Amino acid sequence: MSGTARFLLASWKVNLASALEYRLSFFLLAGMMFVNNMIWLFFWYLFFGRFPVVSGWEMGDVMLLWAVSAGGFGWASVLFGNFPRIAAIVSSGQLDVYLSQPKPVLLNVLTSRMSVTGAGDFIFGIIVFLWVGELTPRGCLLFACALFVSGVLFIGVMVVAGSLAFWIGNAEGIAGQVFGSFIALTTYPTGIFRGAAKIILFTVVPAGFIGYMPIGLMRDFNPAFATAAFGAAAFFAAFGALLFRAGLARYASGNALAMRS
Amino acid sequence: MNRTYGYISVAGRKQLAVVRIALRQQWAYKTDFLLRACLLLLLLYVLGQLYGAAYAGDYDRAIGGFTLRQVVWYLVFTEAITMAGPPVGARIEEEVKNGDIAVRLTRPLSYVGFHYGSYMGEGVLRFIVLLVAGGMVAWLTVGPPALGYGPIAYLPLALLGLTLSFLMTAAVGLCAFWVEETRGLEFVLQKLTFTAGGLLIPIDLMPEWLQRVCAWLPFQAALYLPARLGVRFDGQELLRACSLQLAWIAALSLLVAFIFRRGAGKLHVNGG
Repeated sequence: MSGTARFLLASWKVNLASALEYRLSFFLLAGMMFVNNMIWLFFWYLFFGRFPVVSGWEMGDVMLLWAVSAGGFGWASVLFGNFPRIAAIVSSGQLDVYLSQPKPVLLNVLTSRMSVTGAGDFIFGIIVFLWVGELTPRGCLLFACALFVSGVLFIGVMVVAGSLAFWIGNAEGIAGQVFGSFIALTTYPTGIFRGAAKIILFTVVPAGFIGYMPIGLMRDFNPAFATAAFGAAAFFAAFGALLFRAGLARYASGNALAMRS
Repeated sequence: MNRTYGYISVAGRKQLAVVRIALRQQWAYKTDFLLRACLLLLLLYVLGQLYGAAYAGDYDRAIGGFTLRQVVWYLVFTEAITMAGPPVGARIEEEVKNGDIAVRLTRPLSYVGFHYGSYMGEGVLRFIVLLVAGGMVAWLTVGPPALGYGPIAYLPLALLGLTLSFLMTAAVGLCAFWVEETRGLEFVLQKLTFTAGGLLIPIDLMPEWLQRVCAWLPFQAALYLPARLGVRFDGQELLRACSLQLAWIAALSLLVAFIFRRGAGKLHVNGG
């Protein structure tokens, strides 16, 4: 086992032990996120009760969309929980502590936190898939692929947005907006968007790849879409890592004394 | 009589001073609330597209009494009220937990009144910005709102709606006297407002059974009633909505006063 893999396993183990230290709080927070997502599904139930088919999408498709989006976001937040906080870490000088450790900086930053609510999202995704998904080996494999692409896209996009802090200083506001907007866009059917909005969703803001997953990957497998989705995930992950690395060369801090918490 | 009038007048002046301070304070964080407005623009754009697809772009068709244009403007109105409210529950909880409440209680000003003034000061400014920003998106997407008394009636009803939102959040925040951690309760409140308040879907479009449930709860008075009258004005309905809002404000004010009295009575703060 390589050193990096051992380091990742050790980080996740410590994060889990730390989260389980306050067991009740862990289950409450994870449960809250689960309930939150269920309430969104309730909204969709009301919506589709009034409009049964919208641009070819039905209730089951939107439920799968939520399974992919919340599930992907969930595993990414559990294993790489700092991905939405990079801008805050860079602009507040908290990166110093990671630079002083002999580990890959970006990986170290990403894995040093576990989001407890992310666990609720992940479990929600799995339960909804078991509820409405295709429970065959092929269906499960496609769902796993969809979760993987979705999680990598979340991490990649947020690393790109967070790395802006190396150039513009306080990028917390922008990163927060990108985060909120990206999540919002991944939870609506892509079929409702037309024209320029659709192009943006499949290029600059790749939320469309997550949003179209229930149709293009899971319902009617489309090889071209699957290739494009994997390609987009690889591109954003690589671009984020390169941007972060380029940004590190410009990083300066005020010698802030900080501890990892 | 004169003494009573003088007391009310002094209390009112204090309250207005708090509103003014909160307004100025909020003005100092212009960027923050402009960013909030950006998120609202995106949300409204997405919801506009969603309902546009649901109505198949037909502007004349009415579903549950709402045309596409009315639904989009309805969403602007509900979102502006929802996103305008500052996180007063979290502030109260923080003050109770770290003991800052002791300083506030020594001031010659009602504790809940102070938070109400501060909430309205911040909230009104945010509300105006959000309404203008959201209105621009709606105007560009589906055209102007129907001219008439609706948009005029909406403004005072929205202010009463903000007051109701404050009272509900404050009641939850004040539970910090007993439970310290009120985040879970506030979460439940938010989600109830989201569904039973008709935030993203007018209550008329919901199933019959849910409409009956919503009618008995205060959430619809905070969001749905102002927004519905804003897009579909009806004189008699205005009177009914206004009375309902005032009745809920009275009931919730009593509840908040009761919780505060009970909570403040058992408060112990160490140090200073």
